[in-house]
Amino acid sequence: MTAFLQALIDGTLVGGVYGIIAVGLSLVFGVLGIVNFAQAEFMMLGMYAAWFAWRYLGLDPLIGAAISFAVGFGIGALAQRFLIQRVMNAPHVSQIFLTVGLLIVLENAALLLFGADFRTVQTPYQTQSLQMGPFFISVPYLAAFCNALVVSVALWLVMARTWIGRAIRATAQNAMAAEIFGVDAKRVYMIAFGLGTGLTAFGGGIILSYSSVSPTSGAQYVVLMFTVVVLGGLGSVLGALIGGIAVGIIQSLSTLVMPIQVQNLALFVIFIALLTFRPQGLLGGASR
Amino acid sequence: MIRSLLVISIFAAAALVAGAVLDPRGYIVRVVCLMLLAASLGQCWNIVGGLANQISLGHAAFFGIGAYTTTILQIRYGISPWIGLFLGAAIAGLVGFLISIPTMRLKGSYFALATLAFGEACRIFATAAAGLTGGPQGISVPFVGNSWAMMQFRGAGPYVPILVGLFILISVIFVVLSNGKLGYLLRATRESEDAAEVAGVNTLGVKLAGSTISAALTAVVGTMFVQFNFFIDPDIVFNPTSVSIRAALITIVGGVGILTGPIFGAIAIVTMEEVLSAYLSNQAAGVAPLIFGGLLIAIVLWKPAGLSAISFSRKRALS
Repeated sequence: MTAFLQALIDGTLVGGVYGIIAVGLSLVFGVLGIVNFAQAEFMMLGMYAAWFAWRYLGLDPLIGAAISFAVGFGIGALAQRFLIQRVMNAPHVSQIFLTVGLLIVLENAALLLFGADFRTVQTPYQTQSLQMGPFFISVPYLAAFCNALVVSVALWLVMARTWIGRAIRATAQNAMAAEIFGVDAKRVYMIAFGLGTGLTAFGGGIILSYSSVSPTSGAQYVVLMFTVVVLGGLGSVLGALIGGIAVGIIQSLSTLVMPIQVQNLALFVIFIALLTFRPQGLLGGASR
Repeated sequence: MIRSLLVISIFAAAALVAGAVLDPRGYIVRVVCLMLLAASLGQCWNIVGGLANQISLGHAAFFGIGAYTTTILQIRYGISPWIGLFLGAAIAGLVGFLISIPTMRLKGSYFALATLAFGEACRIFATAAAGLTGGPQGISVPFVGNSWAMMQFRGAGPYVPILVGLFILISVIFVVLSNGKLGYLLRATRESEDAAEVAGVNTLGVKLAGSTISAALTAVVGTMFVQFNFFIDPDIVFNPTSVSIRAALITIVGGVGILTGPIFGAIAIVTMEEVLSAYLSNQAAGVAPLIFGGLLIAIVLWKPAGLSAISFSRKRALS
């Protein structure tokens, strides 16, 4: 029982960060209607940005994640403007292969620039944990979770209260109607995509505080991200957070009954099963 | 159909002549083998990706199943790959059939996602099931010397006729499928699933048949690959980039949904791979895949017609 509850705690804390990573994907898909296969590579870029910020500026990755966001936003917005925008109305095949091409380019560019080594950061609290009764709460997990929570609230505020947030939601609902009301849809697409990749990169920065980064780090999270989005529903910050926590708990509970190497196997099975029962796509209702 | 068969024979004959004339242990013959393997792999993908327009990013699953089945059978029970390849094809066909029951209902990006997840699931399973597959260390084909019975040879030369056989087999199956009833049903489903359903086509059944055939043939390519390469590990045969996406890329470069697509694609891609690895492999591991990714993006942006056989064939039919 203790092991079960401990797994539940760990899963919740780790899952909160998955929520931030996935909310970026959800935003991109919800607004642009494009499944971005390269999304996880922005997480990897965010991890590298946070690593360099730690190595050369001495920033804790939880703070360096702000730099990750900026890098993710910048590269994402440029990719949208010069590549994705050109397939906005193209068939699925074009969209799939464009983002798959982007995935390969980003992964191998990272390999060329940074080499294949795994990089980690050292923080003073890295090995600390709080004891509460029979349970241990890992300090880096807790710090990452709180960080993710704060950013989720901030994102919710931006989406709900600001002009650009409203413009993004309006464009997602009906791009043509939004344009009639004076929204520059092209610009909104660029900003929404950048915001999405930026958030995913931000999540990567946070994750770096308790994991390592290599050029293939993104590839390990592709299915995880999509599972979170499918579980949590599309376009809602809260949904992504709940989906993320659900995935974190599934992952950490599955280690109780299965060897650690097959941890992700449970996710794949759930992912394929979910797609099967909701074949209309990531979000039942929305047909975009 | 006659023209298609002629095209296949020309390429097969060219490969055979190259294998017979050139140094059997030489570099060029090795490249010819790699091209035959690549063309065969692309043509398998073309059955599902081209005829049905279902973009699979998980063909590595079947490739790996074929490669592992024959090698495990040979190591454990001394069974020749010639027999093992049928079992590998049967397993992959069954797995392909079963996984397609849920996934083939999915459209566009969702199908691509589900197949990508499935390929990755297979990679993780092969890495974790060390008792069966040897785990991340991989397994080697035990070398017993030049042997037709065990389908293994020291140089690349003797592989040429075997791989030409594979190439002919898969290409002819593609042509027969494409010109036969199943091909028309697949294309009808591709053009409009709803219209095909209304016209009485069992669209799911048609796609299941196509993907089962494609999966089984992909496993045979996997078998031939391991006999040629002598070593596999989960990251080689279940690799999403260098197997699944490469299979799609080979087809896209040459043209999706047509026989010659994977053939010209294989010639172009393998030539590029070899040139790149000859000039800059040692200092930079990521250059070749980086260029692949760039190539994929370039094709999407500047030659989108290459991605879909639909508009191509339609225009020709109208004119």
